[in-house]
Amino acid sequence: MDSGYIIQQLANGLILGSMYALVAIGFSMIYGIVRLINFAHGDIVMIGAFTTLALMETVGLPFPLVAFCVLLTGCAVGILIERTSFRPMRGAPQVTGFIASLGISIMIQNLGILFLSAQPRNFSFPDYMQTLLQLGPVSFRVVDLIIFLTAVILMIVLIFLVKKTKLGIAMRATAENMDVARMMGININQTIMATFAIGSGLAGIAGLMWGGKFGQIDPLMGYIPGLKAFVAAVIGGVGSIPGAILGGFILGLCEVAFVGLLPPIYSSYRDAFVFGTLIIILICLPNGLLGRDMEERA
Amino acid sequence: MNTNRPRYCLAILIVLMAAVAFLMESQVNDYLLAIVCFAGINIILAVSLNLTNGFTGLFSLGHPAFMAIGGYTTALLTFSIEKKPLFLPDLPQWMVSLHLPFLPALLVGGCFAALVALIIGVSVLRLKGHYLAVATMGFLIIIQVLLNNADSITRGPLGLNGLENFTNLYWVAAWVIVTIYTCWKIKFSSLGRSLLAIREDEMAASSLGINPFYVRSFALIVGAFFAGIAGGLWAHLITAVTPSSFSLIMSFGIVVMVVVGGTGSITGSILAAVFFTLIIECFKPLEESFGIYGIGEIVTSLVLISILIFKPSGIFGTNEPDFVLGKHKP
Amino acid sequence: MKKCLLVITMVLMSISLVTPCFSAEPIKIGALYSLTGGMSSIDTPSLRGAQLAVKIINKNGGLLGGRMIELISVDAKTDQKASAIGAKKLLSKGVIAGIGHSDPSFVLPSAPLFQKKGIPFVTSGATLPTLPKMIGDCMFMVPFGDDDQSFAIADYSFKSLGVKNFVVWTDNSMDFTKTLSRFYKQRAKELGMNLVLEDFFMMGDKDFSAQIARLKNASPKPDAVFISSIPNEAGLTTKQIRENGLTLPIVSGDGFDTELIVSVPGKELANDVYFSTHTYRADPRPEVVQFVNDYKEEYGVDPENAFAPLGYDAIGLIADAIKRAGSAEPKALKESLAKTMGFKAVTGEISYTRPSGVPVKGVSIISVKKGIYNVEEIWFPNTK
Repeated sequence: MDSGYIIQQLANGLILGSMYALVAIGFSMIYGIVRLINFAHGDIVMIGAFTTLALMETVGLPFPLVAFCVLLTGCAVGILIERTSFRPMRGAPQVTGFIASLGISIMIQNLGILFLSAQPRNFSFPDYMQTLLQLGPVSFRVVDLIIFLTAVILMIVLIFLVKKTKLGIAMRATAENMDVARMMGININQTIMATFAIGSGLAGIAGLMWGGKFGQIDPLMGYIPGLKAFVAAVIGGVGSIPGAILGGFILGLCEVAFVGLLPPIYSSYRDAFVFGTLIIILICLPNGLLGRDMEERA
Repeated sequence: MNTNRPRYCLAILIVLMAAVAFLMESQVNDYLLAIVCFAGINIILAVSLNLTNGFTGLFSLGHPAFMAIGGYTTALLTFSIEKKPLFLPDLPQWMVSLHLPFLPALLVGGCFAALVALIIGVSVLRLKGHYLAVATMGFLIIIQVLLNNADSITRGPLGLNGLENFTNLYWVAAWVIVTIYTCWKIKFSSLGRSLLAIREDEMAASSLGINPFYVRSFALIVGAFFAGIAGGLWAHLITAVTPSSFSLIMSFGIVVMVVVGGTGSITGSILAAVFFTLIIECFKPLEESFGIYGIGEIVTSLVLISILIFKPSGIFGTNEPDFVLGKHKP
Repeated sequence: MKKCLLVITMVLMSISLVTPCFSAEPIKIGALYSLTGGMSSIDTPSLRGAQLAVKIINKNGGLLGGRMIELISVDAKTDQKASAIGAKKLLSKGVIAGIGHSDPSFVLPSAPLFQKKGIPFVTSGATLPTLPKMIGDCMFMVPFGDDDQSFAIADYSFKSLGVKNFVVWTDNSMDFTKTLSRFYKQRAKELGMNLVLEDFFMMGDKDFSAQIARLKNASPKPDAVFISSIPNEAGLTTKQIRENGLTLPIVSGDGFDTELIVSVPGKELANDVYFSTHTYRADPRPEVVQFVNDYKEEYGVDPENAFAPLGYDAIGLIADAIKRAGSAEPKALKESLAKTMGFKAVTGEISYTRPSGVPVKGVSIISVKKGIYNVEEIWFPNTK
């Protein structure tokens, strides 16, 4: 096993990790602000992927416009879910929201099968994105590079948003203490809606990238990104955006490393390994790597 | 509380179930029998999960893993010695010679599941809330992967088949009674009050001398035992087990029953289990005539979400309905 | 007067209710397919094929002198519990035969229930060769067994592609794929081929970069890679292998019989792929052409994968057996099915002549060159 192979695996891990990170950020943001695990997040990825397909093939829009529309679609779906299901449940026990989001996820998946047919579909980006580039020992495609760069740019924009803008400060305040934030004059409803919108928009873009990287989409594809994002967010510390990013990359790298660096026979144990690591991290670092203790005091 | 009312209710329930079981076994067709058996198994699962999730507040998603352990163990034990080499040629010799009739096999399955719960509990039970949920989910996936890959014992993804169809309405009814009785007794004992106390406020509970770790482990282990039993019954009803059946989807199905029925209410879990089992079956004719498959799941999700919006702690909350308790209204 | 009218109306109504009983009683066949959940992309085309067959037979006057076939379809939801319940439901409705499932792990809960009642169960898509032995004489398979299709592609790899060193990738999460690999390796060993590297992945995997990297570094240099996967991963593996510049032939079984191996990589990259499958794709036989046209007319799309004609054939097989038996009695039907010889199905000719109960059917070896499917040869098992 030479260094070139290892660097290649590293590159693969980074690209995979950036996609997981995008989905994990939205997940973490939503948890941070309403203390709710949104299991339907993965299905927003699926909606994003299918929207991209529809816009590119049926309507034939140019690519940057497609990306923008997918972002908006993600935002819209997020807001819809928030208004109809999560807002009425604010203040209910934690478990309630979790179960409800699972219900939404199952509903979206079955609606997808009903209306879109369960057959996997081909998804292709414009040809110039598929060309293979070689940088030293590492080979990757243009689309991989775009995915990585877009993810990084979006993350930087997001961190800027959260740290410097009024909305970002409002989000952080609401996440820390909703009642006090309300007393300070922050419009809680709008802030929460904005959080859902941004988080879901990111998920939509992740769907576009997922489709572009792998070339194949189907209505049940959201399950895996959702679950992985969940794990990534918890590793990094749920509620923390840098944590989600870190968690995403760690997960991507670990996955690729596990399959790539261990003998092939262990590939089937990959999921067990990922979750085993997760459990160990949770036991040793209960709040994840970067999370703060967010549980209510007794 | 008028302490005799619940006893009467239970006695009536037993008599009713015995009568129904007798009638159904002789008259009704297989399909309806299977539905009722599954409803019974779901009751066992919901009530036992309620003990872990509802009373004690441990949000465990690992119930199907315990079912799987119980199911596979029971299956391996009830497999006749002649059949074993045919199906599982690589089974270690000491396992081949083990053979037990149905009831002992079920009990061993349940105990083995409880044992695994103990081991898991030691590591995982100090986590709280969502983190515990994630950890138990991880455990579920780990068990699935292990079962999938331990070809010599479990035959991997194909699973075990050709199991004897031991489960009938009598067995299910008997275990339903046992489960309800045990959980009811626990709930209304000082141990049950400790469980509720841990759920409400752990710090206050431990300051009263309740050891949270022991109490939580107890809840997990008892829940796991009954899940293992349910798994054994399940396996012998379907006569086949595969690792993929014990999935996250099943886990959520059971959690849904507990949450909708009321976290902490035994009656609620029973009713919710029966309700959700039936609702899926009732939608099937609709699905088949119009070809809109999946509509049952969609409607179930909508029902779930509506109930959660309008009554988040479930239909019965933590309480049992008054007429079962025998409370007199002033 | 009013009372009189009422009585007359009621008599007339009851006569009209009773009259349908005098017309031919429908032949009820049950269909157990997973129309939701992970297997839905494979099973839904099977159901559609079966429904098409029923429609055509009924249009042409039904069977046994005018009896229409009624296909009762139950969703198995990619879940064993639902499969078992579904089987019981169909049996309680008095079906004379059942069809269904494309994977043995769903046949196993359902078929024994049919066996117990003596009702034949015909699986349209499960290829495990030990199924008839495991379940009993009511179990019938429409497709060939995994042993046959693996032997076929192994023979082809050796004789026509000249493969000496090969790599195997197996999907370790499904029994079907593991069985396929097992038989391929067995035949390859008999032929003297050399297994260089064995790699694994799981259903649902999207990224194969690690396996590809190992493939690149395998030594001695492999002449082909055998990928045992289901349609969902077929396109992805082909695409990623070719994108990484590897041009070695990719061989597989019927899991690769899908549009995805051309649409996902694109026509340029879908090159040098060979797989064994049910004889129907790109086949010029009249049955096949007729089926493809009918399917397109009925559903507006080409058959999605090989499971569509398999579902169609399941009904055809039963209909043929009913005709030969002259009755729709389950017992007579079972015996008639067991005697099936040379039934011209869309997916090949079916004859049950072997003691294992697995049909003797031709296996098509199909090549994909620059996105064009072509039948290279048809392989027949040596009937022992």
